[in-house]
Amino acid sequence: MDDAIVVEGLVKTFRTPLRRRKVEAVRSVSFRVGRGEIFGFLGPNGAGKTTTIKVLVGLVRPTAGRVTVLGGAPDDMGVKRRLGFLPEQPYFYDYLKPTELLDVFGALFGMSRAERRRVIPDLLDRVGLGAAKDRAIRKFSKGMQQRVGIAQALLNDPDLVILDEPMSGLDPIGRREVIDLIASLKARGKTVFFSSHILADVERLADRVVILDRGVMKASGTLPELLGQGTDEREVVLRAAPGSPDPASLPGVSRVEALSPGLVRAICPAGRSDPVLAAALAAGFAVVSVAERRMTLEELVVSHAAGAGPGGIGAGGTAGGAS
Amino acid sequence: MTAAVVRISAIARNTFVEAARNRAFVGLGVAAVGLVVSSMVLSGLALSDQQSRVLVDFGLFSIALLEVVIAIVLGVILVFKEIDRKTFYLVLPKPVHRHEVLAGKFAGLLGVLAVALVLMAAAWFASLASRDVEFKPDMAKALALVWMEAALVTSAAIFFSSFATPVMSGVFSLGVFLVGRNVAVLEELLAGTKGPLVHNPLARTIAETTVFVFPDLTRFGVGREVILGIPVGWDYVGAAALYCAGYCLFFGALASLVFRRREFL
Repeated sequence: MDDAIVVEGLVKTFRTPLRRRKVEAVRSVSFRVGRGEIFGFLGPNGAGKTTTIKVLVGLVRPTAGRVTVLGGAPDDMGVKRRLGFLPEQPYFYDYLKPTELLDVFGALFGMSRAERRRVIPDLLDRVGLGAAKDRAIRKFSKGMQQRVGIAQALLNDPDLVILDEPMSGLDPIGRREVIDLIASLKARGKTVFFSSHILADVERLADRVVILDRGVMKASGTLPELLGQGTDEREVVLRAAPGSPDPASLPGVSRVEALSPGLVRAICPAGRSDPVLAAALAAGFAVVSVAERRMTLEELVVSHAAGAGPGGIGAGGTAGGAS
Repeated sequence: MTAAVVRISAIARNTFVEAARNRAFVGLGVAAVGLVVSSMVLSGLALSDQQSRVLVDFGLFSIALLEVVIAIVLGVILVFKEIDRKTFYLVLPKPVHRHEVLAGKFAGLLGVLAVALVLMAAAWFASLASRDVEFKPDMAKALALVWMEAALVTSAAIFFSSFATPVMSGVFSLGVFLVGRNVAVLEELLAGTKGPLVHNPLARTIAETTVFVFPDLTRFGVGREVILGIPVGWDYVGAAALYCAGYCLFFGALASLVFRRREFL
């Protein structure tokens, strides 16, 4: 498959301003993003995600390695014309109105005035800023500014959209709208590469992910590959009755997670689920469900950040190497 | 229009709007008008036969000074702000070359300087008219030369701001202005047969290098000629324009070289 992004052996080192200490922000990272994919880029703060993204959009040069975006170099003008980019915590010319800002950027993309007049209002409506298009951006809330950022990233109807923390600052409704927007981009054949700390959103959207930690790639693959193998644990969801004992005291339960008032998830080893069920029923709990416990993306990222890595990564996924 | 011109124009328009909506620019405008008005007051204190001379001289001086202040302040601030506030993160990934961004910034500031010049000139001409001082075409040429000097200083300010902090860029730009205004004096000292530049080889080398590298900004000052009625020919203005363009290209090329290598971590 023709790849939208190819990163091979990417290394980025820089020196701190005062002490000139060498910092290895990214260490030999390799991955490929296929065209039409939604690709999640994950890792804790300081993992090297934003540095890698800056390399992809030409703001930073790699110290070593090869980076190809849409078949060309990141600073190639032809590539830039087909690229949309939302930086992390974007800053705008806040003295401008969103229409004025998009007009400036539209001119940079070589859009004619007539085209800008046609496209910009539609785009602002699409990101939910139609009613605020004539207000200065400095008067916008953080969430509204994030929407302006998303609008400018989509202005040129790009083939590849790179979004650094697109959900940042958005309320649940705004988050939902951005999720829908990203999904609609995929439906139109666009490639979306995004980083996010909101792992539930990544789980919902991403076809494949890369997990980075301290500049090193820890894992990459599709979500079923990384999460789908399940674990050797079972989760039993219980509803407590008045006078029910502490579910953690049930024999065989290794830990308990509260889901909502009166509803808990008891985790136990796979071989102990029958005794746990029997003890729970005897103690007056109602059993809501029993299921094989699957690792969540959050657990996967946390386990890599903790340095241990998961107990077992899916068969197709890779740990610490390129996919 | 070629695609590059469209892109540079878009950046220039935005730079102009930013400066025009900046309160500091409004403050500078008020100060400009105040200085021109003060030239009227000063002329009132002069001997009656010197009043028009003071009005012309001080007015031109004030306009030139404020143009250079605007050039340094905005030249230094606008590029630094883009880097500091990370607005370049949105611009540079767009299909625009880095040197086009700098060219756009420069062109936008030239527009700001032109508008500021027109406003100050209008106030100056009003003050001249109030004292029945006759308008001479050479006054317009003198104003054009003032604008060129400010353009040159702007290009230097943009160059310095492409790698230095605003304070350092401001100091360097001011240095270019002050040295540039005194290059002619250095040239006279170098041509002389007495003084430290004759006997001290190091001082002479430094002076010669300074004269070679720094722009001679006295080329843009024709206040004396305007006052004394010495004609300022279009050939002189044209030569000064070429001189200004040469230095703007020089500083622009240096700024582009630095900016092309710059990383935005």
